[in-house]
Amino acid sequence: MAFISSGYNPDKPMEDRITDIGPQHFENFYPEVIKKNKGKWLYHDILKPGVLVHVSETGDEVYTVRAGGARLMTVTHIREICEIADKHCDGHLRFTTRNNIEFMVDSKDKVDPLIKDLESRKFDGGSLKFPVGGTGAGISNIVHTQGWIHCHTPATDASGPVKAAMDEVFSDFQNMRLPAHLRISLACCLNMCGAVHCSDIAILGYHRKPPMVDNAYLDKMCEVPLAIASCPTAALKPKKVELEDGNTVNSIAVNRDRCMFCGNCYTMCPSLPLADKEGDGIVLMVGGKVSNRVSAPKFSKVVVSFIPNETPRWPSMTDQIKNIIEAYASDARKYERLGEWAERIGWERFFSKTGLEFTHHLIDDFRDPAYYTWRQTTNFKF
Amino acid sequence: MAKHETPLLDQLESGPWPSFVSDLKQEAAARAKNEKNIEYQVPVDVVEDLLGVLELSFKDGTTHWKHGGIVGVFGYGGGVIGRYCDQPETFPGVAHFHTMRVNQPAGKFYKTDFLKNLCDLWEFRGSGLTNMHGSTGDIVLLGTTTPQLEEIFYELTHKYNQDLGGSGSNLRTPADCIGQARCEYACYDTQDLCHTLTQEYQDELHRPAFPYKFKFKFDGCPNCCVASIARSDMSFIGTWKDDIRIDQDAVKGYVNGDFKPNAGAHAGRDWGAFDIQKEVIDLCPTECMKYEDGKLAINNKECTRCMHCINVMPRALRPGKETGCSILVGAKAPILDGAQMGSLLVPFVEVNKENDYEAIKEVIEAVWDWWMEEGKNRERLGELMKRQGFQKLLEATGIKPVPQHVQEPRHNPYIFWKEEEVEGGWDRDINEFRKHHKR
Amino acid sequence: MELEEAKEKIVEALNKKAKTKSKFYFNDLSKILELKPREAKKLISKLVEDEVLVYWSSGSTTMYGLKGAGKQAAAEHED
Repeated sequence: MAFISSGYNPDKPMEDRITDIGPQHFENFYPEVIKKNKGKWLYHDILKPGVLVHVSETGDEVYTVRAGGARLMTVTHIREICEIADKHCDGHLRFTTRNNIEFMVDSKDKVDPLIKDLESRKFDGGSLKFPVGGTGAGISNIVHTQGWIHCHTPATDASGPVKAAMDEVFSDFQNMRLPAHLRISLACCLNMCGAVHCSDIAILGYHRKPPMVDNAYLDKMCEVPLAIASCPTAALKPKKVELEDGNTVNSIAVNRDRCMFCGNCYTMCPSLPLADKEGDGIVLMVGGKVSNRVSAPKFSKVVVSFIPNETPRWPSMTDQIKNIIEAYASDARKYERLGEWAERIGWERFFSKTGLEFTHHLIDDFRDPAYYTWRQTTNFKF
Repeated sequence: MAKHETPLLDQLESGPWPSFVSDLKQEAAARAKNEKNIEYQVPVDVVEDLLGVLELSFKDGTTHWKHGGIVGVFGYGGGVIGRYCDQPETFPGVAHFHTMRVNQPAGKFYKTDFLKNLCDLWEFRGSGLTNMHGSTGDIVLLGTTTPQLEEIFYELTHKYNQDLGGSGSNLRTPADCIGQARCEYACYDTQDLCHTLTQEYQDELHRPAFPYKFKFKFDGCPNCCVASIARSDMSFIGTWKDDIRIDQDAVKGYVNGDFKPNAGAHAGRDWGAFDIQKEVIDLCPTECMKYEDGKLAINNKECTRCMHCINVMPRALRPGKETGCSILVGAKAPILDGAQMGSLLVPFVEVNKENDYEAIKEVIEAVWDWWMEEGKNRERLGELMKRQGFQKLLEATGIKPVPQHVQEPRHNPYIFWKEEEVEGGWDRDINEFRKHHKR
Repeated sequence: MELEEAKEKIVEALNKKAKTKSKFYFNDLSKILELKPREAKKLISKLVEDEVLVYWSSGSTTMYGLKGAGKQAAAEHED
């Protein structure tokens, strides 16, 4: 493996350096029909799950076929996407915010061959490469974070639970039977780099054990003031520790009762690991939304305080998710989002209809916002 | 023959949903085969070892990655996330496995030649694994070694006219919805605003000088498909001031069942015949609509532009023509004091390409100046707003308070009057007071 | 402020604290320079380009330190 230079000269990093050029201009990538009709679209229709037509005031139409994809994808897979786009779409495609792939064609007769091509492609293991769906009142792709693939503080995996959950709710990716669209998201720890806090169903990784302290190495590997400052709840303080060999070293004391299990200290100090097989697992939150439609955007609420990480397919988690979806699908009104349904029937009714157990963990006790979640009325249901 | 046995991961190859495990395996096989005789710059078995370390995580329920403080390429304070494997002897191929964030084009439209070039580069100088895309919006290149970072950046900028995205205490890579490119609801050109501001603020994106991360997101209408209102420090949401445009014939078309409501989004179940009273008029949150004598009437003055009626009858109803955006600020995920939704700062501003979005930039820069001076380390804009109060934000941006800023007026009377607001000021003569009030 | 003066101030202040910590927030540096953030940024970015300062990132937050300082720099040493 010989090193091959790009032309970069490490001795003179600023030589010929190009910086601050930003991304490519979006117009370089527009399909012709988009370029021509931008800003002129009149209306759209979902012809069937995963297939949209947009009609322009010029009379032009663009047909979009939406295919699901794992957001973790290899260059081999991307090249296959490109091959399809070259074959059917003049070399154009786009990705959606929810990691779907959109293939666009400018006439109806090109749609069926494209779908046929997409649906014919399978991985060696048997799964579909490009399932068509993810539109309308159904379940679109799950947006997620890195998990065990690449993150240092996850309390669960991301790609694994997502694959397991999408397999279980797959029929709703290809159907539009729900009262409204239902968005599932996953973040593998409470820092939520995936911002799942406004999803209809949020899958959240959560640690339950405070960090261990690697006293013998801490002062060698970390800077104590930085680690202490990283703790959002001020649960850490400096401490001198006598090791078994009699030496006294600088270390850190963890006030375990104050720990919220965020892992921020581990980011600053590798001598404070917190991951643990029994401790880590999943929290389910429901009822969030981001659209302003009918009711204001809402945060998701915690309805299942803990589910263990059952690799490789997280069956307890997927059972609970399916259970929540079915209760919603059978009881909510047309257009009603999951959170709107829960608020209309009341959360006490949400728990009776889903059969989920209500525990003290589900009552907010964190600082000021907690009060606003308690009931301050005699109006409630038995 | 696979390098590591992966009995747990293998169980994720079945089922209909695209299997990332199968995809990783095909990449591992392609690298091992190396049909194109590529001089791989990171270990050929990098994907095999990734599968191996992931299998180990599935077995022991914990991650095997360590954080590294490496930030980026020379002169940049973001764009790279450092990762090291904590089992480097067993999985040497992923001992160093850094991520690079590549700034995606606005709207995430691509031409295949661009993607193919990126694939060639990433296969040659990285693991060949990507995220299309990361949560913030970047193209994420997963897994390369430190010496390759500069080489990749050099090739990206010199050959492909393409820059890195943001991480750390930077302006993060801005992201937008599909907007006017293919959506009839979009009230402004999200792609153009997103791209223009991304270019304008390259220094903020690459050289961290903020107290913490800062995100821009651009939604063309209040449906908020990129979730700007929930996850961006500054969210630009398309809206309009005039009347919803009505095509009465098309309204009749929906009533008569000629068109499917909500563009056919509910076609998977028999919900019965479309009932405009029940499905539109009665669900209008402001009760500003009526349907009488075959005619739809909207009292636009009372409309809060929630999009429901337009979503249900896209052929009949369109947003008005006097369009612009609302700017909401301070959204964030829960850590620490709880999640925050964006709060309305600018009810309406025109989105004007012609003057280079001057009015919008003015607001942005005023907000930044305030936050950079007053924000504590690791304090998001929304938290500063909570700590110092919304009034301070209005002061900093020179925006006049209006009832639209609040859901309701304050509950407590603890108004912190300023001296200059009170007639006669605060300095008084105690002796004068005592003339009329005995001790 | 001239770049040389900024460099002296920063190097002196950071060295003084080197025993306890090696990484600093941007705000710490602008306070050392007694400048408004935007003014400070120009000088600090130049000091990074001149390899006096280096960035360190937690992923979500970026910090600054003198080149080569700190324990983790050594811990992450790549050979």
